[in-house]
Amino acid sequence: MLPIKHTLFLISGVSSFIIFYMGVVNLLTSVEQSTGMILLIFSIFVSTGTLLSTIYMSKSITKPIEKLAQSMTEFSKTNKISNKDQIKTNVKEIFELNKNFESMGIKVERTIEMQNEYVQKLKDIDRKKLEFISMVSHELKTPLIPILGYVQMLQKENLLGKLNEKQIDAVNEIYTSTIKLDRLVGDILMTQKLDLEKVDFNEEEINVSELINNVIKEFKPSTDVKKILLTHEYEGDTMIITDKDRINQIFSNLIKNAIDFVPENTGKITVGAKEDLTDIKFFVKDNGSGIAPINQKEIFKKFYQIDTSTSRKRSGSGLGLAICKGIVEGLGGKIWVESEENVQTTFFFKIPKKPIKITIKNNSEKI
Amino acid sequence: MNKDDNTKRRDEILEILIIDDNEQITKMLTTFLELKEHRCTVVNDGKEGLAIVKKNRHDVVLLDLAMPEFDGYSVIKDLEENNMLKNHKIIVFTASTITQEELDDLLKRGVASYILKPIDIDVLLAKILDTANL
Repeated sequence: MLPIKHTLFLISGVSSFIIFYMGVVNLLTSVEQSTGMILLIFSIFVSTGTLLSTIYMSKSITKPIEKLAQSMTEFSKTNKISNKDQIKTNVKEIFELNKNFESMGIKVERTIEMQNEYVQKLKDIDRKKLEFISMVSHELKTPLIPILGYVQMLQKENLLGKLNEKQIDAVNEIYTSTIKLDRLVGDILMTQKLDLEKVDFNEEEINVSELINNVIKEFKPSTDVKKILLTHEYEGDTMIITDKDRINQIFSNLIKNAIDFVPENTGKITVGAKEDLTDIKFFVKDNGSGIAPINQKEIFKKFYQIDTSTSRKRSGSGLGLAICKGIVEGLGGKIWVESEENVQTTFFFKIPKKPIKITIKNNSEKI
Repeated sequence: MNKDDNTKRRDEILEILIIDDNEQITKMLTTFLELKEHRCTVVNDGKEGLAIVKKNRHDVVLLDLAMPEFDGYSVIKDLEENNMLKNHKIIVFTASTITQEELDDLLKRGVASYILKPIDIDVLLAKILDTANL
């Protein structure tokens, strides 16, 4: 590409040369020498004039255009007009061009400013929302402490006096509902934190078979009571790096669900893992009533319940699977369910054996 | 601390200091603990609580972490700065969210134990007895 300055000089040079050449040719071929001389002098004047006007044009047109081009380049890099009002020109078109460029630039600057303001506002709203939910959660949980305390005292024969059977039933119902409410409040806070990506994930090295054995140990008492067979299916000695507490939380939610859905006495729950080179796939399998294909995606939504007749039996908050999904995704994995109705249901969650480093997370301030 | 009989027997009457701004919670705790024949002193304010911890010895101190103005963390920090934290048997509790790392950190610094909400009164009593017998 040729700069406009060079083009101008090229054109004027060529045209001056042509005019000058024509003058010389005239002089040589002219019948009368004096006429030729006049023409030659005239041609010298014209070509000098052309050159002078080119120099003038170069100053008044190319200089401002060059400057304009410079500030445009600058603008495309910084989104800011660095040398506003610096382009002086008498050429109307360039003046207009520059004026329009500057007003466009100011608009772009303002739009970007506004955009940044909106982003900041959204972040503030997120922060305030989480602060509010944390506060609400604290305020809701605080009165539950004395409620639970007194209910537990009532449940003991030797503390506040002996209750009759109906009173015992009533107190037990209060206890169950209070525990449920407490868990619901905690789960709401957790889902909000997951939604806003404010959950911090730990990294520690854990042994998969130890992890599974501990899960079995934790739930054995509650499955034994209902005569449900709880087994594990994993042979191996793999170490993974992940957040142990969060993985336990997923297992806990999945197993609690399974306990709610398998039949007493003939119920079976299997906890295990399969692995490939990079990932580990945990599963919780049960022989409960199963989940229809139409519901298999929906159940991970908050407060989703398949039908109201079974939901009454459930002890969960309706947020358990949404929390599982949030955690698994936070760990860089995915969760899904495979089920045959009235035969079996298996929840799988697959996570990387080592966390994949993502550096985008810059808003992990704790609340 | 210099007493030889510092270790309490399981059935011994314990002197328990409760520092919590919530009067319903402190009332419930004293009701329960007094039914179990322990003696409770209640303070509803962190600063006052700290003064009592420094002045009188208690077998166990139950300390709420979330209190307005002078909270449980401030009490712990003050005791720590005066090298007194390990002289007291402090059990912390809170209704706010707290991470396992934060709890581990408190234990490492010299807090005796913690109780997670919702408080189970049997667990509470067991922890109080365990802590008193440390």
